[in-house]
Amino acid sequence: MAKLLFDWDYSSYPGAKKYPHLFKPIQIGNLIIPNRIKYAATEDNLNTREGFITDADVAYIRQRAKGVVGGICTMQGVYMDRNRQGQGYVGQAAAWDDKFIPGLRRLAEAIHAERAVAGYQLMHCGRVGAVEVQYCQGPSAVPQRLRIFRPVQEMTKQDIKQCVKEHVEAARRGLEAGFDIMEISGIVGYLISNFISSYTNRRTDEYGGDIRGRMRFVVEIIQEVKKLCGKDVPLGIRLCAEELLDDVRGNSPEESMETYKIAEEAGVDYISVTAGWQESIVPVISRDVPMGSWIHLAKRAKEHVKVPIQMAYRLFKPDLPNQAIGDGHLDMWEMCRPMIADPLMPKKVLEGREEDIRHCVACNLCLARLFRDAPMTCYINPVCAHESDPKYADPEPAEEKKKIMIVGGGPAGLECAYVAARRGHEVHLYEKRNELGGTLIEASKAPYGDDELFNCIRYQKTQCEKAGVTFHLGTEVTEEVIKEELPDSVVLATGPIYSKPKGIGLDRANVVNVLDVLSGKAKVGDKVVVWGNRKPGIGVALYLAKQGKKVTIVGKDKSAGFDVNPSFKWRYMIYLRQNGVTAYNDCDIEEIKEGEVMVKTYDGYRIPVKCDSVVMTEREANPGLKEVVQREGIELFVIGDALVPRNLSSAVHDGYRIGIRI
Amino acid sequence: MAFDAEREISRLWGNLHSAQDEIGRTYYRWRQAALKVAGPGFKPLDVSLKAAEVIGTEIGKSFLPRLNWLKGEEVWLMSLANSYAGQWINHGAVVKVEKGSQPFEAFIRWERCPWPTSAKEYGVPMEEDVLCCDKILQTILLDVNVFFNVNYKIETLKAIPRGQGVCLRRLYKA
Repeated sequence: MAKLLFDWDYSSYPGAKKYPHLFKPIQIGNLIIPNRIKYAATEDNLNTREGFITDADVAYIRQRAKGVVGGICTMQGVYMDRNRQGQGYVGQAAAWDDKFIPGLRRLAEAIHAERAVAGYQLMHCGRVGAVEVQYCQGPSAVPQRLRIFRPVQEMTKQDIKQCVKEHVEAARRGLEAGFDIMEISGIVGYLISNFISSYTNRRTDEYGGDIRGRMRFVVEIIQEVKKLCGKDVPLGIRLCAEELLDDVRGNSPEESMETYKIAEEAGVDYISVTAGWQESIVPVISRDVPMGSWIHLAKRAKEHVKVPIQMAYRLFKPDLPNQAIGDGHLDMWEMCRPMIADPLMPKKVLEGREEDIRHCVACNLCLARLFRDAPMTCYINPVCAHESDPKYADPEPAEEKKKIMIVGGGPAGLECAYVAARRGHEVHLYEKRNELGGTLIEASKAPYGDDELFNCIRYQKTQCEKAGVTFHLGTEVTEEVIKEELPDSVVLATGPIYSKPKGIGLDRANVVNVLDVLSGKAKVGDKVVVWGNRKPGIGVALYLAKQGKKVTIVGKDKSAGFDVNPSFKWRYMIYLRQNGVTAYNDCDIEEIKEGEVMVKTYDGYRIPVKCDSVVMTEREANPGLKEVVQREGIELFVIGDALVPRNLSSAVHDGYRIGIRI
Repeated sequence: MAFDAEREISRLWGNLHSAQDEIGRTYYRWRQAALKVAGPGFKPLDVSLKAAEVIGTEIGKSFLPRLNWLKGEEVWLMSLANSYAGQWINHGAVVKVEKGSQPFEAFIRWERCPWPTSAKEYGVPMEEDVLCCDKILQTILLDVNVFFNVNYKIETLKAIPRGQGVCLRRLYKA
């Protein structure tokens, strides 16, 4: 008899009518899950370096548990060995001793407190592990392609037996802590995937050879853990449907499907489909990969196995998984990054409040932080990883109600506006243009998925409207306006000013501004020099190169994309190359002439570059109105690019921080 | 300011050559330091071979992200041979790569190499230069072979320090 842990009735909710396939129950093993939603295990680096669970992690996971509205909420994968070779992240939770059980229990209880199903994951990080020790483990000592990872030591048969035992022991601790579902991680380059892949498993003993041999280690773990779990606790596994490692002789898709069948035979109750490894040179989850691109993998998995199939991977909007489930290509919708950006995302879908969802922009900053031993951060959600701090995550109403004038309707100003308004302030937002969005209006026109960035503005605008912010569109704030309105506080979110060094020919007609180019107001010739090698420069360079223009980027930073996080930057580097864009980094423009600019390297060499047009993208802080406000004795805040030109994330985070402080 | 291309290029060229010369000098200065630290109980050749091993391992690691199996083994092999050549070209050598007559065979020909000149400047025996080059070339292959699950070898057929005019190496599937 299948067991239902928490009874949920979705029938009265609009989301259940709109997305009927997402909010219907499913049986996994002997457990009934009320809906098709799962927060997939995600590292957050919020725990102690010894692997003990912290208040920050409990609060983080509880928010996500609330979000899944009765579905599965999985805690991050635990490492299981005392030697810490399985540990891939400095703040990863540990489960190699009973002393970790109380912390794990706190997580299970937090998930249950939100009436969600508590998932527990076993994760030995294999060749991407050993973050705190010198050597990591693998089936064979295949050298690392990425230098950030530790050298690999080949596991002996004794090591393998020990590792299986550690999985079982760690699973027991998870059960004692109160988790309802057990999951094994076998993805992206972690130990189990290392055993499965022909790229990393060169063993000639019974743990190597053909795909059945390479699956033997996995099968032993599944069988032993399954024995422990019994009938009542479902056991699942995350496996690669495509490794995307053809360049290093990894598994074929057919072999990967074979692993699914073997895992099913071994006794798993569900399979979570993934694609790619951390070492893959194929993009999988970044913004340049269209949403829904990987659904065919779930469909393929369904054709090979009978157990329920789950998948995340660029399913950022509910219509995609709803359709896929309805079509029989998928059984459960997993999410990591969409619920990092908005932990309550599925709850809002259920309640028919999709306009309140803060959408992930697939920038992968969260991953970049984890790989660099930093706590989780979200580009677009300032509250992420601060859930345990009520002063930050859920600020109290303002003690003194103020009349606040926010100058600038870009992401910084909008974020600040609704946060301050929610706290009870009277907020007036002034924007000189007739529409909201600031420089993001133009920036979101850059290719390779940048249109998704504008979702941020849609969200913020809705929140401002709901919080009662008064918009003054088409109104340029001047000294007179400030004197007339006499607000208690002024927040300058006016965006940057574009650099115009004198005496080098910038007054020529062929010099145009990046915003004018992206908005189509300015025309450029066939040979274009883009001045500035940060994100705005890269965006406009790709925009123009896609139109067939010959583009050269000239910028002062040593490499292009200094302000783009490393987990996304590599994509831009490839696109620049593919589109034939030349980049002179560590360089500046010395002079702009008719048909040519003179580029000067950092050490004084000069290179003439032929061009018809120069696009200015270099930015500076915007001091406008600062003196006026200070002279009037009004409280002043400067945020976003007006303070220091940076990126969208800094604008949003600046806006939030001032919004809760003002 | 008028742009004088000849002046810019000659300055750049001069600086490139100085930097290339410094690579050789820096290596041999470190060799002297290592020999002093090692003391009289160690043969200079042994110390140099150990250095060659470390260098080869490091270069081998840097080859891994550049090599790609997707276009087949012959393309992969030529790309490996070109990676070898590129390494020495950066130091100022003139190196050419040719496909061999046998399958999975390539020849790498050093028509000019700065390393024997640097070795001479620091009084190092010419044979040590050949043996160290061999060691570097072979050590590079260790990681490459394991990583791509192949078995390639490289052998020296001719060497400039031996007075044979060119260095010629055969890279082949064993």
